[in-house]
Amino acid sequence: MSLKNADFVIIGSTPLARLVAGLLASVHGKAVVFAGESHAGYHLPRGMDLSVAPITRPETWDLLKPLVAEMLKLLPRIGARGSWSRVDPVLFAEAAAGKEALAHIRHMALAFRHGAEPVGEKALGPRREGVILRDAILLHRPRLEAALDHWLDKLEVHRMAPVETLTMHPDGSAELHSGDQRMAITQTVLADDTALLHHLPIAQWPSLLQRQVTSTIVTEPTKPLAAPVMLQLDAGLALAQQPGRGITAIGAGRIDPFAARLGVLLGRAHDFRQAGQLQYERIATSDSAPAVGRLGATGPDVLAGLGPTGAFFAPAIARWLSGVANPAENAWFGARLVDRQIAPSLVAEVTSP
Amino acid sequence: MKLHSARLGTGHLLSGSAIDRSRPIQFRLDRRVIHGFAGDTVLSAVLASGIDTAGHRDGQPIALTSRHAPSIAPSVQAKDPHAALPMERTQAHDGADYVTLAPRLKRNLPTRLLKRDSHSLHLDLGASDALTRPWLGRPGDPGPTGDLVVIGGGVAGMSAALAGTKNGLRVLLLEASTRLGGHARLFGTMEGEETPDAAITRLTQAVAASSKITTLTSAEVFALRPGKLRLHQVELLDGVPRGRVLDVTAPHIILATGAFERLPVFSGNRMPGVIGSLEAFDLAQLYGIWPGQSAVLATSSSPAYRLALMARDAGITLQRILDSRPQPQSRFIEFAKAYGITQAAGTITGSVAPAPKTRRLTVTPQLALDGFSSAETSIETDRLIASGGWQPDLTLWHMAGGESLWKAASARLEPTTAPPGIALAGSAAGWLTRAACLASGTQAVQHRLGKETKPVVDTLIDPLYETPDAAAPIGTPPDETSQPAYLDGGRGYLARPRHLPSRWPNWLPFATRPEVWSLADTPHPLDIAEIAAGVQLGILPATSAGIVAQERVAMVGVDVEELAPPDKSPLPLPPPYLLGRYANASLFVVAPSEQRLLSPGSLIHIDPDSADPLNAIGVVVRIMDGAAIALVIGTTGQTASLREPGRVIPIRLVAAYSEGMDLAAALGGSASPL
Repeated sequence: MSLKNADFVIIGSTPLARLVAGLLASVHGKAVVFAGESHAGYHLPRGMDLSVAPITRPETWDLLKPLVAEMLKLLPRIGARGSWSRVDPVLFAEAAAGKEALAHIRHMALAFRHGAEPVGEKALGPRREGVILRDAILLHRPRLEAALDHWLDKLEVHRMAPVETLTMHPDGSAELHSGDQRMAITQTVLADDTALLHHLPIAQWPSLLQRQVTSTIVTEPTKPLAAPVMLQLDAGLALAQQPGRGITAIGAGRIDPFAARLGVLLGRAHDFRQAGQLQYERIATSDSAPAVGRLGATGPDVLAGLGPTGAFFAPAIARWLSGVANPAENAWFGARLVDRQIAPSLVAEVTSP
Repeated sequence: MKLHSARLGTGHLLSGSAIDRSRPIQFRLDRRVIHGFAGDTVLSAVLASGIDTAGHRDGQPIALTSRHAPSIAPSVQAKDPHAALPMERTQAHDGADYVTLAPRLKRNLPTRLLKRDSHSLHLDLGASDALTRPWLGRPGDPGPTGDLVVIGGGVAGMSAALAGTKNGLRVLLLEASTRLGGHARLFGTMEGEETPDAAITRLTQAVAASSKITTLTSAEVFALRPGKLRLHQVELLDGVPRGRVLDVTAPHIILATGAFERLPVFSGNRMPGVIGSLEAFDLAQLYGIWPGQSAVLATSSSPAYRLALMARDAGITLQRILDSRPQPQSRFIEFAKAYGITQAAGTITGSVAPAPKTRRLTVTPQLALDGFSSAETSIETDRLIASGGWQPDLTLWHMAGGESLWKAASARLEPTTAPPGIALAGSAAGWLTRAACLASGTQAVQHRLGKETKPVVDTLIDPLYETPDAAAPIGTPPDETSQPAYLDGGRGYLARPRHLPSRWPNWLPFATRPEVWSLADTPHPLDIAEIAAGVQLGILPATSAGIVAQERVAMVGVDVEELAPPDKSPLPLPPPYLLGRYANASLFVVAPSEQRLLSPGSLIHIDPDSADPLNAIGVVVRIMDGAAIALVIGTTGQTASLREPGRVIPIRLVAAYSEGMDLAAALGGSASPL
């Protein structure tokens, strides 16, 4: 270990965790330890990274729009060229509540000058309504992860090795041990669901966060979907069709019931066989809005419930953690603290896949 | 094509114990007449007729094998998915007329006339559903019940079934192939043991004699969860094969699914003429099939030598045995030396290519010793028997939630944590000797029943005299022109990326980039062998191999709950995602100044020129009975502007909204502003 002290340890394996670690080190000059696996090349994904989501809150649209532009400037600079593509995702719903939410999302997207057009039953199937959101950015995790790891190495972010052990303290600080050597870390950031599930003590578990059994299913190649990325609002289900025409589906529930729901959703026209499946727990917030900040104002920092757009919030999160966020960012994060009031929630969102 | 062109003669151990040469049969496949014998499967009769190629993928031929064969159906039911049958599990019967259920290569008339390849089924293996098995999507009918289900009818499975009956259990024994017995015959006998034939005969007779055992052969389990499974069986009804899908439940399940042989990874490893030692042995021993007169054997495991000895006894010229182990020792090796078969230790198959102007193979051995590697003189041969060692078949284990770990010493995935109600036996559990496999069958049942167990002992011959198996050999990466190097020989086609040397330095943007592996994006299940090869090739960390094997097993849903009916409860007003958006806002019935239907989500502004959504004072929440309900900061009678795409509409806050109010009255007699 070349460092004796570090400002942050970022625990997590998602692009968001890597981006926050890299931005803290590069832009904000912090000494950072990164504790996360590199497995996007062979493990099934537990989420997707998309620059749009079922967002109804104007302040979130307002915050997100410049952040997406900031990310698009950042990615080529850090060697992640080719790790994203532009897509026109479709958000759709079958139930009345979902259809109503779609209308709100569409108007909000248009108000922020984001292309949004209705999609009807002809493309989506009977009793379904949808909105196509134009020109969204989809990150390609396997390629992005490799690029971000290379970037972290160049930034000399300390990557926690399997032989090292990390001890987290209730005040949010941590210690990294490697043999006889010890590194003191000022603040821990639990940056993805797996990190929260592994490291957050039950005693400190906030009522806002809920464990949710979730499944990912990858199908063998099947017929093309109406759009390469589709988000179903009714059950919070995400579909992404890969270039090889296999579909990656992510949604709540155990594998077999989820596969059955997927079969109903895709219909006979998209008869599929499973090419892979994974059941795990993820964190959902009770109001479907993001949850950030320190537990009990003194514990580790939590990043949860950010949904598909999470990675795009990385520059703002890094600023906020470094204490240099702008007023709009401060207000947005301040309203979404992990220990916020939840009944009624003043920042509630539509369920995100 | 000659009749039975790939069939050996008689008078040796590879004469075909399953066929009756006195009862010839013939049937049609894709309008071709296939000759066989009673006892043949459709696949064995096809292979015996000299058809050794399933079709082409990316212009390269791929062999027809028991793990890579298309489904078939009677020609009159070609479009009925329920009539689909597996070639390898369907008994051939006289007069049948089958078609393959796979897309065929598009070949125009001149091509068909000029390239009359009678050795191929001409399937388009590049099509996404080339080797589809339609029964995987079928729901199951209720199947036979039992207290114990044993999956696998080899010596360990039969031992487990008999142990079950001794404990008073009703047993269902399921075997995927057409007969019980498994693969013990290839592995020979250790000193003091009964012969494999004697053991199999003894166990088979005991199983047949037991009234408590129901045996289903040609029954392949394709879905397994704790306590339940789904299988596809080919049953004979009045001598005619018919497929059925059955669901079976049982509190105890023993998996005796055996071990499968790894395919060494080298260029051309799935060309017609390249075959594993176990498949070559089964085809020869059961059906007397051995195409060609000469063979090269490449192995990392000693039992393959036993096949070489039997093949030589049957008149096959063994040109060379390549052994990846530097100093292999085995009694079989000594016998092979005594037979005068040339052996090359520390040598693997570097690559295989078609021999010019013949259907033979050009095998290029590669010396691979202590990091030193060099290509040897090529050998032209009819057949390459390639054995990459043995991997416990944990496919169903993973499907049921069982866990496994990569063991570097044995270079294979081995089982760890068991799913509830399920135990492993035999070589699926990692046991190597027949004695241990037999004992493990009994002990697995004892363990499941919570009874006292005895430790199973795998008494192996001292490594000084019997060199343990080595890892499956990995040849040099294929280049631009060589045949693909596949990671396994099953229905998947995961191939090692080609080595494309760049003429330009790597930092230049137009320099040739190496292909990027991403198993996560592969839209096909990954067989255990592909995962094992992935570990050996360094594309998958050994620590993740077990998890990936679980994630990428080809699972079929059997445990389906009733779908919840749609939620018909009234929608909250306002919906939660609008709470707190506008401070001190309340619900109003709003009406436009012109006849127009408003749409939910439209933003309301005080200033008609304002388009900033952050300055909006409200939003239309819902349309109820033709009336627009808005959440807005304002008072009754106030006017505002509503933004819809492309235009601004003046509105008036008609009345405060309350649940159950008369909306039509609020709007002045007509609920609809139209």
